[in-house]
Amino acid sequence: MIKSFNPKDGNVIDGIDLQIEACSVVSLLGESGSGKTTLARLIAGLEVPDSGELILDGTLVANSSKFVPPQQRKIGMVFQDYALFPHMTVMDNVGYGLASRQKKEFRVLEVLNLVGLEDLGHRYPHQLSGGQQQRIALARALAPEPKLLVLDEPFSNLDASLKRHLRSELFQIIRESKVTALFLTHDTQDAIAVSDRVVVLQNGRVIQQGTAKALYERPTNRYIAALFGPIVELNADDLSHFNLEVDPSKTYALRQNHFEVDNEKLKSIAQVSIKESTHAGHFYLNQALLPNKKTIQFTSGRALKDSVLLGFEGNSLLVF
Amino acid sequence: MFNLKTIKRDTDKWSWLTVLLVGFVTLPIFALLFKTFSGPGESWSHLLSTVLGTYTLNSLLLVLGTSFFSLVLGVPSAWAVSRYHFPGKKIFEWLLIVPLTIPSYITAYAYAGLFDYGGTLSRMGHFLGVPKLDILNLPGLVFILSISLYPYVYMASRAVFLYQSGRLIEASSLLGAKGIKTLFRVILPMAWPAIFGGLLLVIMEVLNDYGAAKYYGVNTLTTGIFRAWFALEEPNTAVFLSVILLLLVLVFVLLERWQRGSRSYQMTAKSNIRLQPIYPSKTTKWWLFSITFVPVLFGFLFPVFQLLKWLGTTWEKTASSNYLIIAFQSVGIALLASVLTILVTLLVIYFPKWNRLKLLKGSTKLATLGYAIPGAVLAIGVMLPTLQIDRWLLLANYSSGGNGTILLLNGTIIALVYAYIIRFLAVGFKPLQASQLKLGASLSESSKLLGKNTLQTFFKIEVPLLKTGIFSALLLVFVDIMKELPLTLILKPYDVNTLAVKAYEFASDELIMESALPSLTIIVAGLIPVLFLNKLLLNDS
Repeated sequence: MIKSFNPKDGNVIDGIDLQIEACSVVSLLGESGSGKTTLARLIAGLEVPDSGELILDGTLVANSSKFVPPQQRKIGMVFQDYALFPHMTVMDNVGYGLASRQKKEFRVLEVLNLVGLEDLGHRYPHQLSGGQQQRIALARALAPEPKLLVLDEPFSNLDASLKRHLRSELFQIIRESKVTALFLTHDTQDAIAVSDRVVVLQNGRVIQQGTAKALYERPTNRYIAALFGPIVELNADDLSHFNLEVDPSKTYALRQNHFEVDNEKLKSIAQVSIKESTHAGHFYLNQALLPNKKTIQFTSGRALKDSVLLGFEGNSLLVF
Repeated sequence: MFNLKTIKRDTDKWSWLTVLLVGFVTLPIFALLFKTFSGPGESWSHLLSTVLGTYTLNSLLLVLGTSFFSLVLGVPSAWAVSRYHFPGKKIFEWLLIVPLTIPSYITAYAYAGLFDYGGTLSRMGHFLGVPKLDILNLPGLVFILSISLYPYVYMASRAVFLYQSGRLIEASSLLGAKGIKTLFRVILPMAWPAIFGGLLLVIMEVLNDYGAAKYYGVNTLTTGIFRAWFALEEPNTAVFLSVILLLLVLVFVLLERWQRGSRSYQMTAKSNIRLQPIYPSKTTKWWLFSITFVPVLFGFLFPVFQLLKWLGTTWEKTASSNYLIIAFQSVGIALLASVLTILVTLLVIYFPKWNRLKLLKGSTKLATLGYAIPGAVLAIGVMLPTLQIDRWLLLANYSSGGNGTILLLNGTIIALVYAYIIRFLAVGFKPLQASQLKLGASLSESSKLLGKNTLQTFFKIEVPLLKTGIFSALLLVFVDIMKELPLTLILKPYDVNTLAVKAYEFASDELIMESALPSLTIIVAGLIPVLFLNKLLLNDS
């Protein structure tokens, strides 16, 4: 699929090819400007694609000659700002997408129960806390039993401690209701915590997709590798000091926390001198000089000084 | 870039409706331009060699003079009320807007009286030993237009002083710059694009004015159009003058665009930091008081005083059943036209949005076009196509055996209301678009994703949430229509009268004192929304 808003600025979605399996939770991970919101809006029918096609549950909903409007696509969306209708009660908000009256009452209660807010039906959105608003937004999106649920950065307005709590709660509800979900986030931790599969977007392209484990262990480039935390790039000369002979045409890297200190059993070890060791919360961040005078940064469980034996497991070396 | 397939895919009923709407709004302009092909009237060459230069020069001098004095009156007063704390500041904050409730032609009549023999100001002058001032001339008109139009500059400046420069002023003074230096090096250059926006409104009103210029005997392009149309009865000549006036407006609009475009840094400087007001010394307080009082005194108090004085001597004669009928007609027409205007404004905002064709998305901008067209020009632009349609209708009537002689559009309320809608689209458009933007897109998008179609979404979500915006837009348009003169003069049905026209007629029939009642009625009508909207505005901030 391709989409551009302004020909001068190039394509916002630059040839994305993606499949989402039914009943799975897929994360779209990317920085702002990576195209994840635009992709979600294209899927929902809030934007028109320039070219490419979109198939939803076996039905073609958009290509260059056909366009099914959003109201006919049965896609639920939880917006970043929740977009609750301020002039309607919680009940009216949740029941908004339901057609028949009898069904409405039953289903509204059902989803309010699901999100655990059955007592708040008569309140107005402004009388709810941020977390409650979010759960109502989820209940409203789930009520009409959508074919796909899109969550656009739902945690960006919440503070960190509340977020972790809500995150597990929210996705538990999503798993329970067996809906296919597409979760947009810029936070790697969020993505790996909740999804079956992570799709990493950069400049409107999918640069890698797979399970969180696969992305962590076999990143295809530096950018993906660094998503999970800082890495140390090493070249063939650096690695030769660790007793490793490698192809000099490739790039190598190691996660800062994959170094081990004073473990003589490791095959790849080198004597390094510590320049600085600073306390950084759970760990110490060290600056060290390799024998070839290159400075690297790595983490350790305790403060280091002088000269140490630094090593790593061979299979933790990342190759691009 | 154009892909026929996707254009076909994205063309739906909203696209067609958008195109129709664009046609509806631009028809008068195209009619005018089309008419220029049939050449000017017979006195054109005479006009060209004699008075056209004077017309244009006078219009330009009025624009320059009024711009200068509007800035002098509007910018310092805005600075005073937004930065300083002094007694009466709260009242002055909105009193400074109040002159807008008096149409400039009415201010002009009032001052003609104030400076006339035996007039209050001329007697005061005599007492002080100042020789009698004749103000029925170009400098006099500049004075009138400045004191009645400066609030546009004041409002634009106040908004920018209040909201936009807080952090920068702090930064500048932290860097050690003295107050005056900050003012001239940081604040004014930063505020200028917005102030120019207000100034552009002043300029458009100056070019639109007919009543004041006519009474003060200043020949402008606008009075020229009237002369060509009514006295010379040469529509083609009026069309040519209109096009010249339109080009003049275009120059100023482009100038404003250009200066705004080249200073886009304005936007990055937005901040919510409100500065602490300055508590001035006693002498400064007097200065601040004069800066804010003088515009109110000249722009509002003097003219209203004069009108009330006249009302005292004439009300027995003028407060007749005839007055009531005119007042009712005036309110009725303004009500009908303002409701329709707001309706069309909503269409102009929403049709291009609802349509998926990228090509048509920008057509919302057309809404602001009407305000740039001087009333007289627009009136002629409306007259041309409606006359043509009437002609076709008559022909159709004859050929089907009828003997109808009535014009269906021209000289009826339809043509008048059509012109009002186009002219005042911009007035309602700004507040409506602002509240629509504040609402954000996600609410209506949510509604659509929950299965409601475009119209259901519009009526269930947008309309209830835009109520306040719609109402304030309606009020603003209503008042502007009540005040409107040049367009109404040309297009009004023969047997219908408005208060504005009545005031004008009294004044041109040398019954200027009698114009007090209709004039004051218009002012009172105008005061209601100013009081009301100011409250809304204050609540907002």
